[in-house]
Amino acid sequence: MNINVNDYLIVATIIFCIGALGVLIRKNLITIFLSLELMFNAANLGFVAVSEYLNLMSGDIFVIFIMVVAAAEAAILLGIAIAFYREKGTIDIDKANELKM
Amino acid sequence: MEALFYIFSIIAIFSALMVISVKNPLTSALYIILCFFALAGFYILLNMQFLAAMQILVYAGAIAVIIVLAIMLLNLAKTKGAIKDFHQLVIGIIAVGLLFLEVILYIDAAGEKKPTGIYTNAIINKVGNTQIIGEFLFTKYVFPFEVASILLLVAVIGAYIFAKK
Repeated sequence: MNINVNDYLIVATIIFCIGALGVLIRKNLITIFLSLELMFNAANLGFVAVSEYLNLMSGDIFVIFIMVVAAAEAAILLGIAIAFYREKGTIDIDKANELKM
Repeated sequence: MEALFYIFSIIAIFSALMVISVKNPLTSALYIILCFFALAGFYILLNMQFLAAMQILVYAGAIAVIIVLAIMLLNLAKTKGAIKDFHQLVIGIIAVGLLFLEVILYIDAAGEKKPTGIYTNAIINKVGNTQIIGEFLFTKYVFPFEVASILLLVAVIGAYIFAKK
């Protein structure tokens, strides 16, 4: 059987769902960020697969911009994690509750 | 080709599952590097070698190193209780399962579509995908390209301000 675009999209969906589950259930800030990266990568895979299927290049250009955003996000996350750790002594996001009523 | 696709998908899905299930964040970071490499394999199967190289350089190289650096700086050995409470686990699994089902239904419902573009694999291989991407970046997408550079500048300044005492 031949591999078509749907198979790539199904793999991308599985990885995206795993990433979303990680964001929902984990407490650790670093692991949540890694799950976000998984979701970014699943979106990238979908873009490239559809772009190859439709013989377009726009999806591949989008992937490059998504990589730029992910890199910027990684740098910001490092700063936030250090500031949060300095404040609280942990990176458990359940401790980020200053806005609690 | 089919065998490679299945190998890459098994590695990618397995490592993604390990990322969200192992306790130690450093192990998670190592598993996500494995996932990035498997996805780079997908890009090569899809005839996008430049993106595969970028995937390995930017994700597995830069971002994963930043994560490992953050883990080193933060001394995470003390964090315990990796997963939130039971209700959140159940609700998360059900919500994500529904999301998966909905997207699969959506993919199944989408019918065949005719290719609309001109960039077939033969043309991409003849010109070279790096050259095509470069031409797009500096002609049609030059404004987003400049905005992306400003975004990176903002990220550098923001990271400095956050991390500064």
